[in-house]
This record gives sequence, structure tokens and C-alpha cells, in this order.
Amino acid sequence: MSAFSLYVDRNSGLNRLNPLTMLALIGFCLVAGLALPGAWAPYAVFLLAILPLAAGGRVLRPFLSAALKIVLPFAVSVTLIQGLFWTGGTPIVHLGPLSLKREGLIFAAQSTGRILAVLGSFLLLALTTRTDALMIALAQHGAPKSLTYIVLATLQIAPRFQAKANTILDAQRARGLEVEGGIGRRVRALIPLTIPLVLGSIVDIEERAIALEARAFSRSGPKTSLLVLRDSHMQRIGRWVLVGGMIAAVILGIVLRR
Amino acid sequence: MNIIVSALSFTYPSGVEALHGVNLAIAAGEAVAILGENGAGKTTLVKHFNGLLRPTRGTVAVGGWDTREHSVAQMAARAGYVFQNPDDQLFERTVQAEVMFGPHNLGRTAAEAGAAAADALAQVGLAAQSGANPYDLHLSERKLLALAAVLAMHTPVVVLDEPTTGQDARGVARISGIVEALKAEGRTVIAISHDVDFCAEHFDRVVLMAGGLILADGPAADVFARADDLRRADVEPPQLVRLASALGLLGAPLRTEQFVDLLAQARL
Amino acid sequence: MIDIQGLTYTYPASETPALNGIDLTVPEGQLCAVIGANGAGKSTLCYAIAGFVPHFYNGTLTGRVTVAGRDVVATPLAELAGEIGLVFANPFNQITGARFTVREEVAFGLENLGVPRDDMLARVDAALALVGLAGLGDRSPYALSGGQQQRVALASVIVMRPRVLVLDEPTSQLDPVGTREVFETLAGLAQAGGTTVVLVEHKPEWIAVHADRVVVLSAGRVVLDGPPAEVLAAPELSGYGLAPTRYTQAARLAVGRGLAPGDRPLPVTLEQAAPFFTDRVSP
Repeated sequence: MSAFSLYVDRNSGLNRLNPLTMLALIGFCLVAGLALPGAWAPYAVFLLAILPLAAGGRVLRPFLSAALKIVLPFAVSVTLIQGLFWTGGTPIVHLGPLSLKREGLIFAAQSTGRILAVLGSFLLLALTTRTDALMIALAQHGAPKSLTYIVLATLQIAPRFQAKANTILDAQRARGLEVEGGIGRRVRALIPLTIPLVLGSIVDIEERAIALEARAFSRSGPKTSLLVLRDSHMQRIGRWVLVGGMIAAVILGIVLRR
Repeated sequence: MNIIVSALSFTYPSGVEALHGVNLAIAAGEAVAILGENGAGKTTLVKHFNGLLRPTRGTVAVGGWDTREHSVAQMAARAGYVFQNPDDQLFERTVQAEVMFGPHNLGRTAAEAGAAAADALAQVGLAAQSGANPYDLHLSERKLLALAAVLAMHTPVVVLDEPTTGQDARGVARISGIVEALKAEGRTVIAISHDVDFCAEHFDRVVLMAGGLILADGPAADVFARADDLRRADVEPPQLVRLASALGLLGAPLRTEQFVDLLAQARL
Repeated sequence: MIDIQGLTYTYPASETPALNGIDLTVPEGQLCAVIGANGAGKSTLCYAIAGFVPHFYNGTLTGRVTVAGRDVVATPLAELAGEIGLVFANPFNQITGARFTVREEVAFGLENLGVPRDDMLARVDAALALVGLAGLGDRSPYALSGGQQQRVALASVIVMRPRVLVLDEPTSQLDPVGTREVFETLAGLAQAGGTTVVLVEHKPEWIAVHADRVVVLSAGRVVLDGPPAEVLAAPELSGYGLAPTRYTQAARLAVGRGLAPGDRPLPVTLEQAAPFFTDRVSP
């Protein structure tokens, strides 16, 4: 059972960037996509920044396949629902008794664009940046150690949690628990299924705390890291430029919307 | 109640082929131990006995019921299954209520379920703790509690997954007594276990599995004498069998009395 | 190396002590097995040596526990980590989840101790070689078998070079292959020298072969203490809820039926049993 991680090692330029630089880059795409005005701004960010980055990181294929799987169903449903049922809009296409409204279609395009920019940014981060490296980098810059630990451990333990839930389901069905059928039956089945999961996790957490303590987790003093995070003067400047870019995008958005 | 497995193949949704055409007939009242290393297909096989898994190819019938035609809840009345980790199922506030859960699901009245629970708790030695919270018990006691929860369902078939792990000598003796009692009642007992010494002493028939196939199947003394098959399945022979072979005695003694009898015969 | 004097400990929610007047001295480099019925206090003793009793569990403790010259009760846990290693039954819960490869997982403790990276690499690779996982450093620890995961846990602790290693039923959730892997690693560790090992374990056939000494606990007290050949063959063992190996059981029965002489120590391993039964009763 492996960890819940999308990272693919392509030995690309993006893989070699410091995780904080990657984070700043993604932050810039996200802020620019959402703050700039107009229905087409998020599309522009997606096409001009996120997509070229994915190509540069050599993850274009997994990136597009994952993005399409999520965005396409959303785009179709939001277009149909908002287009057909927008109240009081201007009809532009007639489909029998129904019609697609101009305002509804614009709204659908806007929300699809935003989803694309947000999802694309996070997907790009997940595909090109190791979560553990990102958390180590954050911890080195003062993020609370316990917080970065929880993020990492949760990602790794999630698949195991699901396997445990399946075992509990099997064990209770083997004792004659009926889990299919009416809503009442399903609700009653929740208690025998969730309580072992919760109580089992509490036992696990206690053991994990002991194991961490035995590995000097709470020891104060300087820490070292096996994983070497590359950084450079250029990257540090780049990060500040990107932060400046984010602020500029927000100001530009406010000014242009007036 | 008998179990007939015919040409059973099973492939997990992940694509892992766990069983490749297994044939096995277990008669009512037999005690069968299934041995093999992790990944040999033991758990996949026994999960077919109560319908938790359905054949990809082939059939499994329990007392004439084809498992594909019955729900797991229906099959649960025929084949009880004690899981390895008790904490995957304990959820009630008291030990007594925990044991009544199964009989209750099978449609027994509160009085019947209560009586069955009291009997089962006495059998595993937890009668005095019937009012306790299951999670206040030691892990080895919780394991006995999970066993009682299945015994109280009075199923004609009982499947035990690693019953002796984590038990001390008293716990093992307790479980041995329960296996013997189930045999005496004519129930079918099937165990998956790495504890070969326990299996040798209490199970008349041994099925050796490796790589999703049955490598050997027969009376325990015969299978434990097949050193090559045991090695292929990565199963160590029981201590007494190893000792007999080191001494050059013929045959595979399963119990200490049998070993000493063999020794006495060799001395004559 | 370990010196326990008059140790009595009671858990916070309990009235009866889990450990009751324990006196135990374990010299450097000894592999000391601790056996006993469930509830006898074995795990609590492990926690007391590693400092989790009383630091993690609270409760009331009287007596003294000195490990590697440190007063365990007076020393904070964070300072004991690294000096005293602890390994327990569930391999999965010992993997931090905070590192993505086996090598990084093993290095986690050294990172917390602030060991320089160059030393760290050499020590991690040496620890992985010692537990027989040299080729698996770049794999995810979650992609390994239970026996391999338990050896990762072992490597993660021994890489910190603890002077005392405490193991609480390290093989109880493993199959025979995993059990063999862990015991062979422990034997290698004992041969590599120096480390004092306290091992709680249910499997007498493995203890008989590998331990230097066996201590039996019952109701929080030490009731038997000696070399494996002596303790595991002691007639009072069953009174403490323990069973000897089948070799001892068979030998006892054979002596009872006059098939073997009663004046020799009973065997506890296969190696001892073979000559025991071949040497005839002297006429």
C-alpha cells in the first residue's frame, strides 16, 4: 500500500526547484486567475502559465488527463443547468420548449474558468513537488513542526484508513449485519461500522505518539535533514518577484473592476 | 454442514489473481487447518465460505447453497467467521451486548440471544466480565470476545483466522478446548494459522497452499511428513515432527503422546 | 546497563499496581527475554525502561530505574530518545508517515538529533545493511511486507545507536518468515556487540535458541530468572500461565514413562533434544 501522492519524478527543471519557489509560482497563478477581472482571465492564466509549466515539467499528459476528468463533467453540467434555467435571461439558442440564455452561459464559462485555474494550480503542484520536501521547507522557514507532520502523515495514512474501513465492513457483515436495503437499515448499520474505526484510530494515535517520541521528535535544538533542498539567490529573488506579482494582480483586479 | 469448492478462481479488482482453480471438498464435522505463507491465498479462499468474496470463476456451495445466490447476511447464519483483529468489529458498550449482536442479526429473540451469549462467554472464560466495556479488556481477551460473538451465532461452520496469535498458554488452551468442543458437536471447523504446533494437535486434516493453489491436502500426519511440499509452501514442520525426523523415527507425530509412543516402539 | 530497584508502578485509572517491587539488573550486551501471561506487566516493564512510564502515562511510581547511568524517572523523554530504543508489535504504527522512502524514514530520528548529513547517510546505510534491507532504501516503507516494515522500525531505532534496545512482542503480528527475519536481525545485533536487549516475546522456541537469560513475570513480580535451559524447563512454568516448548513437554513425558533418564536437565531446543533422546538410559 503506497502513499497518497501524485508526484512523478521527471528530473525536470520544476522538480529541481526549491519547493517554496514552486509554491510561490502556484500561488501567483492562483491569485492572478482569481483576482484579474473578466470571464477570460482564468483561461488566459491557464493557457499562458499553468499549461506551459506543466509541459516544462514534463507532466502534460497526466496533468491533462486528471484535469479533464474533473473539469469536463463540471463544465457540461454547469453549462446545461445555468444555460437552460437562468431566470429572465436573453435566449440565444432554442431547444424545443427550452432555450439557452446568454447570461447563464457567461456564468458557466466564468465558473468553469475559475475551477480550471484553481484545480490546475494545485494539480501542477502535486505532480511536480514532493509533499515531504515542501513540508520540510516550510518547517525550515518556521512553520509549526506538528502541523507539517499532520499534513504528511494524513496523506500517507489515508489509504490504510480505507483498507481498515473495508475490513470492518467485512467483519460486521460476517456477523449478519445487513448493509443493503432501505435508508433506515443503512443508518442503523453506521454505528457498528464507524465506532470500531474511531476507537481503533485512537489506539493507533497513542502508539504513533510513543513511536515518534522514541525517535526524538519533541527534542529541541537544531535539526538536520537527509533530503537536500536546493535553493539559490536567484530563486529567493524570484519568490519575492512572484509575491510582488500577486499583490500587483490583486490591486489591478480592484482597479479594473471599478 | 459441508463445503464444496469447484474450480474456484478469484481475481481482485486491482488485478491480483489470488486463486487459480481451487478444488476442495470439506465434509460436515471435519476440522481443517489451512497453512501457507502470507499471500498464498488462504484468506481469499475462506472469505468465499460466507460470501464476503464471490468467485470470479467456479463455484462455492455451503450446505448446498451457492454463495452467489445468497447475501452475506444470509450466509452468516451458516458460516461464522472470526476475524484476526478483534478491534475491527467491537463496538457495543458491554461485553454481553457485543455477543448478542450476531444472534440478534440472525433474527433470534432477545431471550434466545441472551442465553446464547451467556453460554458463549462462559465457553471463552469471560462470563465474569459480561458487564464490562469491551475496550477495557486486554487485547487477548478482546480476541476471545470476538470468538464468543461468533460462537453465539450457533453456525454449523466456524472459520477461525489466526486464533492463537497474541494468546498466552492459557488462552491457547482455552481456544484448543473450544475447537475440540466444536468438533464433538459435529460442527465444521476451519482455521487459517501460522501456529503449526497448534494445528497439528487439533486439526485432523491439513490443506497446504502456495501461490493461489493447493499444494497438498490430506490427514495432518501425511501432510506434515511431506518435507518438500512444506518447504515449497515456506511452512516449518511442527516441533515434534522436526524432532522425530532428527532422531530418524518413522512417521509424523502430532501430539507429545504420539511422539513418546513412537520413541517407545523404536526402542523395542 | 539496566538497574531496576524496588520498582512499583500503578496506572492512573487503576488500583492494583501493574509492576510490584521489581528488582532487575541487566549487564551490558545481554539479550534478556521477558515472558509471562497476558496482564503480567511485560509491556509496562518495557515502558518503564524506556521512560514512557511514568513520563507518557503518568500514574504513581516508586523505586529506581537507572539505564545507561541515567535516572529514567528524573530525565525528560526527549533526552532518553536515542539512548534507549523502543520497538513494539504493530509495524505500521511505528512508521512515521512523514518520510517517503525507507532511507529517509530511518534517518528521521537522526534528523531530530541534529546529526550532520554526511554521518547520517553512512549510519542509515549501515543500519539498513544490518537488518538486511540494503537494497530497499529508495522504496516507500508502505510498499513493504509486514516483516520488512518491522525491520525498518528496528533499523530506525538502532541507527540512533541506543545503548539499550527494548522490544515489546516485535514478532506477534508477523508470519513465520517475518519472525525469522526479525530474530536473525536481533542475533546479528547481539553479535555486532555492545547493545543490551530486553525482549518481550511469546514464542518459547525462539527464546530458547536466542536469549542469554529469561525472566518470568507474574502479576507484576519477577518469579523466575535464569538461563533459558533452566527457566523454560522449570516445572512451575505452567503455574504462571506459560507453556514450555514441545521438546521439553515430550522429554518430561518420556521421563515419566521411563524412556529417558530423569537425572538430566530437560531439553528446551531441538539441538538439545536430539542428544537427550538418543543417549540411552544407562543400565
